[in-house]
Amino acid sequence: MHGDWVCGVYEYFKAIFLGIWSTLVGMRITMARFFDYVKDPLYQGVTVQYPTERWKVAEGYRGMLFNDIDDCIVCSQCANECPADCIIIDAEKAAKGEDLGKTSNGTPKKIKAWRFDIDLNHCLYCGLCTEVCPTECLIMTDAYDYATYSRDGLYLLFARPEKYTTAPAGASPAASPAPEAKPA
Amino acid sequence: MEILERTSDVMVINMGPQHPSTHGVLRVELKTDGEVILEATPHLGYLHRDFEKHCEAVLWGGVIPYTDRMDYVAAMNNNFGYCLAVEKLLGTEIPERASVLRVLVSELNRIASHLLAFGTYGIDIGAFTPFLYAFREREMILDLFEHCCGARLTYNYIRIGGVSRDLPPEFEPKCRRLVRTMREAIPEYNNLLSYNQIFVARTRDIGVIPAELAIAWGCTGPVLRGSGVKWDLRKDEPYSIYPELQFEVPVGKGEVGTVGDCWDRYMVRLREMEQSVDLVEQCLDRLKPGPVMAKGTRSVKPPKGEVYHRTETPRGELGFYIVSDGGKKAYRCKVRSPCFCNLSILSEIAPGHLIADMVALIGSIDIVLGEVDR
Repeated sequence: MHGDWVCGVYEYFKAIFLGIWSTLVGMRITMARFFDYVKDPLYQGVTVQYPTERWKVAEGYRGMLFNDIDDCIVCSQCANECPADCIIIDAEKAAKGEDLGKTSNGTPKKIKAWRFDIDLNHCLYCGLCTEVCPTECLIMTDAYDYATYSRDGLYLLFARPEKYTTAPAGASPAASPAPEAKPA
Repeated sequence: MEILERTSDVMVINMGPQHPSTHGVLRVELKTDGEVILEATPHLGYLHRDFEKHCEAVLWGGVIPYTDRMDYVAAMNNNFGYCLAVEKLLGTEIPERASVLRVLVSELNRIASHLLAFGTYGIDIGAFTPFLYAFREREMILDLFEHCCGARLTYNYIRIGGVSRDLPPEFEPKCRRLVRTMREAIPEYNNLLSYNQIFVARTRDIGVIPAELAIAWGCTGPVLRGSGVKWDLRKDEPYSIYPELQFEVPVGKGEVGTVGDCWDRYMVRLREMEQSVDLVEQCLDRLKPGPVMAKGTRSVKPPKGEVYHRTETPRGELGFYIVSDGGKKAYRCKVRSPCFCNLSILSEIAPGHLIADMVALIGSIDIVLGEVDR
């Protein structure tokens, strides 16, 4: 009985000692790192004063979508590919003899878009739409800070119906003017 | 642990769904007698997004962004599993460089995922510092991913037939630096947390899962290997270029307590990180210039048939069962989620433990609710 008691006390203090010892082992790493960071010029001024200073995002970052409607041939491949169905296109073939102009790489445009909307509320930012785009007019910009006060702010309207004189029946040109998506 | 003789009334406590240590939106209904758990029932479904039905509605390639959102801390491994399943159905040959890149990024993601598991497990137990160390390295990996695919969490990088784009030139030196940093960092983690006596006392002999029980409940990944079963699909049913790579499968040995306790499961993850670092280095050495995408895989139409393919993700065995009717979309897609199967053992092992140990238990199983609920 007496031996058990001594053994219990020994175990008790051993546990306390080991606890303190292993904490000190950890603290040594913490302190070593602390002085590393104080000395190392790489870690000087790590804090970025966010709205005024910014990190550069990586090349090919998948941010806000932007469509250059002047270059768009309205092929609807992006809308077909989109897994979230967030690209909404209403289009009409050009009338005979009507010239819609050319894209920047010389492809003649044959379809006019009454509506080219992207609902960023539903967007997955997967980038599949930009990969199928034949004229590379639909791109992912490196804009990442576009929080808005309402969901409407994330509803991007790219087609500019005022270019055309009359809207076809059924097409619903958006009432509000198209906000410019600004690539950062 | 034996259940103590009941001295008071049974009390029902809901742990979660907003409990920080349930790692998401898991609700565990606990019947407790004082501090001792009598019964634990996990309730799921708070994050259900109907992945399997979505697969039937979107094109074959469009499913990949949805797999990103299943296990969102190891999205590369999910992409990989789905693409391998579809390619098995298609019978596509993958270019050499693409295969190496796929293994490279999924091993990097395995490290990132285990770092998160390691860091948050420390927080669960009460050690905050290791979390900061883990996130320092995880940040480097996420930066690498941002460079190679343009996103930090939902990558959509591994595609049917290859990978979406080639590596930028700055990737390789950065990745080699990461390998060096990780080799120095892992012993640091061991000193900070693994052999810390307070941590050991909290996890030793807690939540012991014997090997037979783990197999019977279908546990996989570190939960199974923590119980001493040497089962890793990368070795036992190798896919992609894994047969050509050298690595070991760490298992729990019961160094501080019983085999299959929380500490063993935790330690298996740390040792797997070491192996993954080696794998990353081997992949970097194997990188040769070449195409990264097989031809004719832009819009695929797999032939009629069904396929089951399983891969080893950081959390265990992820299986995709896919039925195709020869169309542009899958007819049916069923996912065998490792987290779901691992979580189900909770109700078996929790009774008899204290409520505080429940946190250690859930953390050691390392679930991601995005995948449990899908």
